[in-house]
Amino acid sequence: MNGAHDLGGMHGFGPIDNEGDEPIFHADWERRAFAITLAMGAYGAWNLDQSRFARECSDPAHYLSGSYYEHWLDGLERLLIESGLLSEQEIAERVADLATPAA
Amino acid sequence: MPVLTAKQVEPELRRGSSTRMAVDVDPRFRVGDEVITRKMNPRGHTRLPRYARGRRGIVVRDHGVFIFPDRHAADGLKTPQRLYSVRFSHHELWGPNHDRPDVTRAGFPPINASIFLDLFDEYLESL
Repeated sequence: MNGAHDLGGMHGFGPIDNEGDEPIFHADWERRAFAITLAMGAYGAWNLDQSRFARECSDPAHYLSGSYYEHWLDGLERLLIESGLLSEQEIAERVADLATPAA
Repeated sequence: MPVLTAKQVEPELRRGSSTRMAVDVDPRFRVGDEVITRKMNPRGHTRLPRYARGRRGIVVRDHGVFIFPDRHAADGLKTPQRLYSVRFSHHELWGPNHDRPDVTRAGFPPINASIFLDLFDEYLESL
């Protein structure tokens, strides 16, 4: 797929930012995104190449502005929806729940 | 329902996993063969990047037989295919402009640089 992930030869992103002592995760949600992706991979509803393709299918503008684990989360949501394990609506409702401060 | 427990995670990640297949497939290419990559624009997954399509290179290593990822991503089928390391000259992939002094100052590799890509059998044709 000729998606935004196929970056070879593209200009304009500026120099690569090499962080010294780069942490494995830059935020706590990344730790969870990684864990859920691994756990769902072990569930066996899709293979590694299907999960790569799911990330490649992200909206190109979103992909280019997103971080590494945003790509993971995006791909995971797509796989969960395509395999019928979750619906788009269920994900949207959960996001809305979490965005609402507890009364 | 398969469940990944916390105890399994570290050994699983340390062990890693390989997509090598224990089947033999006759190689279509030998080390030293000149090849040209296919011009293709598949809607599905592929490991042949756009910048390396329709480019000439030389087979430098035969890695053996692996699951063909394009098919594996499409319908989950594990079809065996040979994987080769192919060397491309920087010039072949990026053209002659990169050796302009103003461009080399910007951090481009020297004119004689090579790029090695691991490519599956059906991405390649004989030259």
